Parts: sequence; C-alpha cells; structure tokens
Amino acid sequence: MTYLRVVWQAFRLQAELARRGPQHLLMLLVTPMQTASLLALTLHSHRPDALVNAVIAPGMIGLWVAALDYAGRVVPEDQWAGRFTPMVAAPVPLTVVVVGRVAAVVLVGAVAFAESWLTAAVGFGRVLTVAEPGVFAAAVLATCLAAVGTAMLLSGVIALSRARDVLQNSLSYPFYILGGVVFPITVLPAWVRPFSRVVFLSWSAQLLRDAAHGTVRHWAVSLAVILALGAAALAGGMWLTRRVVDGARRKGTVGFA
Amino acid sequence: MEAAVSASALRRTYERKRKDAVVALDDLTLSIARNEIHGLLGPNGAGKTTLVKILSTVLLPTAGTARVLGHDVVAETRTVRTLVGLVLGGDRGLYDRLSARRNLLFWGALYKLDARTVRRRADALLERVGLAERADDPVERFSRGMRQRLHLARGLLHEPQVLFLDEPTSGLDPVAAVAFRRLVLELRDEGRTFLLATHDMDEATALCDRVSLIDRGRLLLTDDTASIGRILGDRECVDFVHDDGTHAEALALLPEVTDVERLDDRWRVHTADRDGSRRVLAWLVERDVLTARHAQPTLEEVYLRTVGDRGMRV
Repeated sequence: MTYLRVVWQAFRLQAELARRGPQHLLMLLVTPMQTASLLALTLHSHRPDALVNAVIAPGMIGLWVAALDYAGRVVPEDQWAGRFTPMVAAPVPLTVVVVGRVAAVVLVGAVAFAESWLTAAVGFGRVLTVAEPGVFAAAVLATCLAAVGTAMLLSGVIALSRARDVLQNSLSYPFYILGGVVFPITVLPAWVRPFSRVVFLSWSAQLLRDAAHGTVRHWAVSLAVILALGAAALAGGMWLTRRVVDGARRKGTVGFA
Repeated sequence: MEAAVSASALRRTYERKRKDAVVALDDLTLSIARNEIHGLLGPNGAGKTTLVKILSTVLLPTAGTARVLGHDVVAETRTVRTLVGLVLGGDRGLYDRLSARRNLLFWGALYKLDARTVRRRADALLERVGLAERADDPVERFSRGMRQRLHLARGLLHEPQVLFLDEPTSGLDPVAAVAFRRLVLELRDEGRTFLLATHDMDEATALCDRVSLIDRGRLLLTDDTASIGRILGDRECVDFVHDDGTHAEALALLPEVTDVERLDDRWRVHTADRDGSRRVLAWLVERDVLTARHAQPTLEEVYLRTVGDRGMRV
C-alpha cells in the first residue's frame, strides 16, 4: 500500500508538472498535423479502407513520443536539477517514483488517440467507426499499460546512456516501422517481421485495426501478448533503474548529471 | 552512550580512466555524540561532501565502516535513511514549478508517510521555517534563503534524529543566515544531532559544539569549538587597532612580548603569559589605545594554520 501511495503521489506530481509546463504538452500540438497529413494521403489515394491507419497511427506515435522523449527525461532531469541526491537518500526506491511519473507521462500521450479521432471527424468529416468497440477499448487500454512498461524501460536505458539525445532521436522511426504504426507489418520484408513481433506496438496496431474493421481473431491472445511485452519491459526498466542508482552510489555520480 | 554517528577507517576513492584514483576520504575516523552539532570544515575538495554522502547512504565507501545510531550505512541502508535527514545547500533540488506545499507532499511520500501525516507536518514545518504565507507559491518565485528554508523543511519532514547539512547557508544574506542558525539551535534543543559541513567559520563558531578539520580526505583535528585556539599552543595575545606602526615597534621591544604581527585590520601582540598580556594592555591604555583587547586565536586562524596556504588549489 505504501508503494502504491508513492506511485500515486509521483503520478500527481508529474501531472501537475505537465499542467504547469507547456513543454510537456507540446506533443499534443503535433498530433492533429500528423493526422491531417496521413488523412490527406489516404483521401488523395482513394483508400477509404486506410482511414483507420490514419487515425490510429498518430495516437500510437503520441504514446511512443511520450514514452521515449518525455518519460526518458524523468531521471536525467532530476539529475540535472539536483533532485536525484535527496531522492536516492529517501527510503522508497527510485523505481517506484519513476513508475508513477512515467504512467502520468504516458496518459498525456494517450490523449493523442482522442485528438486524432477528433481531427478526422471535425476537420475532415471522416468518422472512424469501430466494428468491435469493446475489443478496441481493451486494446487501447492494454496499449497504454504496455506503453508505461516500455516507457520505464526507455527511461532506464536513456538514464544509463552517455549519448541520451542521440539515442532518443534514433529510437522513433525504427519503432514506427517495426511497430506497424503507419502501415501493417505484412508489407515489411519477411525477415523483418520476427523483430516486429517483440515490439508491443505491432500487436497493438494489428488488434486496433482488426477491431475497427471487425476482423478480430484471437483477441485475448493479442491482449495477453501486449500486456506480457509491457510487463517484461516494466521489469527490465525497474532493473535498469536500480542499476542507475546502484551505479551512481558506487561510482560517486549521484550528484552529477 | 553510543555515538550518534561514527566512522571508522572510512575510505573513498574515485576511479579515473588512465589516471590514478582520487582519494576523497583517507582512513577517516570520527565520532559524533548524540545531540551534538558537529562542524566539518575544510577547503574545496577536502572530502566534506563525500563524507556527508556516505553517511546519508547516497554514496558507498570504498573501505571502512560508518554507522548512524548504531546502524551500518551499507548493510542497513533502508533503516539509516529513515533516521537521517539530508539538507543540501544551493538553489537546486526542488521542483521549481510546483508550490512549496506540493514539494513537501511529494517528498513526504518518499519517506512512507501517510497523506494526513505529511499534510500536518508540512503545514507545521512551513509555519516553523516562515514560509506558511508563501506555501502555495511556486518555488521558482522563492529567494535563495526561502529555498534553503524549504530544503530544511524537507529534511525534517520524517522527523529524523540526525541531520546532515552540507553548506546550508552558502549564498544567504546575513539576516537569513542568522535566522537559519537560530532554527538549527532550536532543533538541537529538541534532541537532534547535526553534522554541518561548511566553509563558514563564523557559522561553525556560532553553531558547533565541536569541529573537525579535514583536508585531502584526512582528519586533521577534532576539538571543542570554544577552546580550539589551544590547538595553536597556549599563546596569549592582545589585539589592538592603530593607524601606524609606532606602537607596534615599541611593543616589540618589551621583554614580555614574543612577537607582533599585522593582521588584516589590527595588530596582534603575542605574549609569553597572562601577566604579560595584562602589562601590554596597561601599556596600550596608558597611550590612549582604547581598542585593545585580550584575544585568543580564532577558529579561522586555527583553520588557516592547520590547512595551510592552499590558495585556489584543490
């Protein structure tokens, strides 16, 4: 219960930081433009069946940007701002704090789904209808949870990295492609597809498209895989965050950025 | 009675690529009694912050042991963290966009305090450090002194028995520094133990029961602050202010005077014993030098003579 309370306090802290710091919400300004670009391509190529791609993709990109750019900065920003030292000196493990904060970051990113749908409906008069709304909602929820786990992993990787900016800049497009975010992974070369299957986005994108089209098969399996990949990433992220703290205590870099 | 803080043969080195390791603490042994305010003095790079970080479990020692209230800082990290408070100096370390109260609510959760307790203690501490009226203002609008008081409030949230203060008044104006020191003395009266790492000799003299001087990671001396002048020998001195050196030259010829030196703003006459000081004082008063006073070496002089002329070197 104590740790849950810490997660909740960390979540609230991050939500308040986002509310008071406009830079935390910048990604939401980009989403309508991404939706507009993809919709324009869809309409121009007379592919109404691709409407679902144009609406879902910006939502998933929003989640990924939140996990990569914003959640990835949680630990380094505390280091730069001198908060890392008192945080390490506290009895609650840093991992618990980071879980709460990245969860809030990802929730902000999830708003991109609604934004994208609204942009298509209000801006283009194209309402995405979902054939299986229950599965679709469950897929969005599972995707958000998996994104929290992945954000935790990315946060740990970025905190350990010496080239944080380079890493953050180079981890977006490869995952949009591997995750089948903009187009289904079936159009990728066969040798790439096995790599796609360990990226939760590929399962999420497929399930969301199938739910929209009403062509879902084995939805429970897909949901389980999404959640399992998210849980594995969460476990990896927590382990890496512990390594960040242990390494800093050992090397004497707790007070350094 | 068991010491509040003890360190035994504590050593910390920092490894460097293709260079010799830097020794930040070198077999340092130190003991701080309960309810003591202990000053830790030394130049930049002496090892003060390294010691504070090891004692607050933020840094692991390379060798040796350290205990806080009987608990080993390495083996019983979690327990030690609930017993100690860490207060760092400077502008950083807080969530600037959030209010003072919101900061405290968050930091309180990290010490496993329930929401009601944190709220109650946060309100009480904000009142105590004089920030109650600004409790809901963003910290980014706070002066350095106000931030420093908020740092102290954060360090006290979980009611620690031992507090480590690292340069807590650096950059504060004199009024804020005095208020901060008064607060520390009040907290000591409540039974808390303090380790105060500082450069400020006036602060150490005003607050500390005992001081330790360290340099290059080694403990040079530990003594009572009030009588630390003895370190330089039982020398008697008389200080006086005079514009020219005529009196100084005359005094130097007196048999009871062993030395006369020019300090920044005054002359210092060293005598062999107390009778000699008495005669020098009378000699000066006869010549209308009413600024003369009996003096003993200050903590600052002890520091300068012990640490030596390091200048800017670290």
